[in-house]
Amino acid sequence: MDLFLQQVVNALSLGGTYALLALGLAVVFSVLGLINFAHGELMTLTGYAIFFALAAGLPYPVALVLGVLVATASAVVMERVAFRPLRNSNATVMLLSSFAVAAMLHVLFQNLISARPKAIPAPQFLMRNVEVLGLQIGAVQLVSIAVTAISLLGLTLFLRRSTLGIATRAAASDFNITRLMGINANLVISTAFAISGLLAGIAALLWLFQRGSVDPLMGFLPVLKAFIAAVLGGLGSLSGAVVGGLLLGFIEVGLRAYLPDGMQAYREAIGLTIVIAVLFFYPSGLVPRREAVR
Amino acid sequence: MIRFRTVSILATAAAVASMGPTAASAQDVLKIGFAGALTGYLAPYDQPTQQGLELAIDEINKAGGIDGKIKIELTTRDVRSETAQSAVVAQELVDMGINVMIAPCDVDPAVAVGQIAQAANIPTIAPCASTPTLPGIAGPFTFANYTADNLQGTVLADFALEQGYKNALILISRDTPYTEKLPLYFKQVFEAKGGQVPATLEFKMGQQDFSAEVTRIKELNPAPDVIMTAAYEPDFPAFIKQLRSSGINTPVLGSDGIDSPTTLALGEIAEGVVFTNAGFPSEGGPLAKFNAAFTAHFGEEPTSVYPATAYDVIKSIEAAVKATGGNLDGQALRDAIDNLENVPVATGTLTYKGRERVPLRVVALNRIVAGEKTHVADVTPKAADVPAP
Repeated sequence: MDLFLQQVVNALSLGGTYALLALGLAVVFSVLGLINFAHGELMTLTGYAIFFALAAGLPYPVALVLGVLVATASAVVMERVAFRPLRNSNATVMLLSSFAVAAMLHVLFQNLISARPKAIPAPQFLMRNVEVLGLQIGAVQLVSIAVTAISLLGLTLFLRRSTLGIATRAAASDFNITRLMGINANLVISTAFAISGLLAGIAALLWLFQRGSVDPLMGFLPVLKAFIAAVLGGLGSLSGAVVGGLLLGFIEVGLRAYLPDGMQAYREAIGLTIVIAVLFFYPSGLVPRREAVR
Repeated sequence: MIRFRTVSILATAAAVASMGPTAASAQDVLKIGFAGALTGYLAPYDQPTQQGLELAIDEINKAGGIDGKIKIELTTRDVRSETAQSAVVAQELVDMGINVMIAPCDVDPAVAVGQIAQAANIPTIAPCASTPTLPGIAGPFTFANYTADNLQGTVLADFALEQGYKNALILISRDTPYTEKLPLYFKQVFEAKGGQVPATLEFKMGQQDFSAEVTRIKELNPAPDVIMTAAYEPDFPAFIKQLRSSGINTPVLGSDGIDSPTTLALGEIAEGVVFTNAGFPSEGGPLAKFNAAFTAHFGEEPTSVYPATAYDVIKSIEAAVKATGGNLDGQALRDAIDNLENVPVATGTLTYKGRERVPLRVVALNRIVAGEKTHVADVTPKAADVPAP
């Protein structure tokens, strides 16, 4: 029973990180209809910002905050440079543009910074474990769960209480009508990218605490997981992204914990089969985006 | 800074190569082609390799060339870490008339490159691909250079038994031959000499979260005396962090993939980790000298052993050209490399003679103490103990 609860905590912690990432993709998709495959590179940028901040002698907490701010600002710049000029073209063009941004950043990181990973030390207190209700929980996991919860709460408050948040939600449900109401489209889209950058930056911190280094290709895998989670939850649906991320975490940890040893090699395939099975019964995802049908 | 130098050398090399037959006659220039991954997932290995090649060639040419007369000319082309592109680039380099080919850092593209060079009777050396079956698959013109996986597995198993460990757990990933086979070679030797490996756990490279695996290790009864893995970053740091933070203090053995500043930056959780690699820079030793030369040339310290092992490749080629008396014919060079014995290189010495094109070289054992790499021993395993590839 204890081991089961332990695995539940493991799943919550991993699923929470996936949820943050998927939410970042979903916020942008909801207003632009674009899956930003350069989302993972925002995480890489956070990593390099922290690395250079520490190298410049800034205190650790300042470096972390700076890292998140860099991701946020980069997301806004990315929209301005790579997506705004293409806004009126086909959605596929913007998708390709996001791949181009990712590929260019990979090569720039590899050739201007280093192809080798750069070490980012994590604070030693994160290496301890804490006893909660008889369970031994790693500090990193507790921090992940707490940070995810706080971020989701903060985002919900922003989207429900602030004018800009309400405008973003309105744009997510019907962008054209929102513009007719006199809402500035550029402002809403920039806000969506800023939120997605902020979430990518926060997720990057959790990711970096675990992996201990930043390298040019670091963002590739997380964005893939986030995409699966976002589709699973329902593309463009914000609550769906959170549900999808958590479910993906539970599927992965569940398979790793309980699949017999001989089957472990197939767990990725089994995991994705489960995702496909869910989509078979819920083709628009678990919490589909509500769309007005006229 | 380094990048600009690389670019300019590449440009020079390309310009020289494009001069074609009007360039210096074939007899006094040895043309080396590097089909290297300057971009993509192999770039972390092939970019440092490029630096090591440049440094070695620069030193030899400044001294007047091999034997004071044969200058070396390097042409590097990016293979983008793709096997298909590696084959295309290899053909381009062959068509330029190179004498020796240098392959990318992973076994699949290295095989592709080796096969194309072989068809033109050009010997290929793979600087850092460590799969011991590589030369066998690619054919008689392909040579390995790096510390082979079965050598490292043997040295780690011997070390584990010496420490009195009887019950080992291995953590493997089937994503690459390195992360899968190296622990399996360890297991083979460890079991052959009386140890037991009752548990094998698997991971997916880049999975980031090892909590489920760590929880399973906690359940094991009896608990393992030692954990062995060939995982490297970002997997190794994530694994050991989660292992230690859940209160498991079982000793951990690793391989050369974790020989990186990231591992040293892990702090107290990496304390006591023992790993193998291609050499330890003991004071006054050849690797320390190499590192000093590297720092002087590039203005920063090497962050991996790959420049040194690339330097070794050029030293082997130099020794082979000396042995042929300056004959640059492909078959003659191949035979000369195959007969090299005790060539002094940056990481110690290399012997190809009687080794089926997988060199015998020293394996260094290192231990992390207070965030520093310390030397445990240099080991040359007994040939009879090393499992067949």
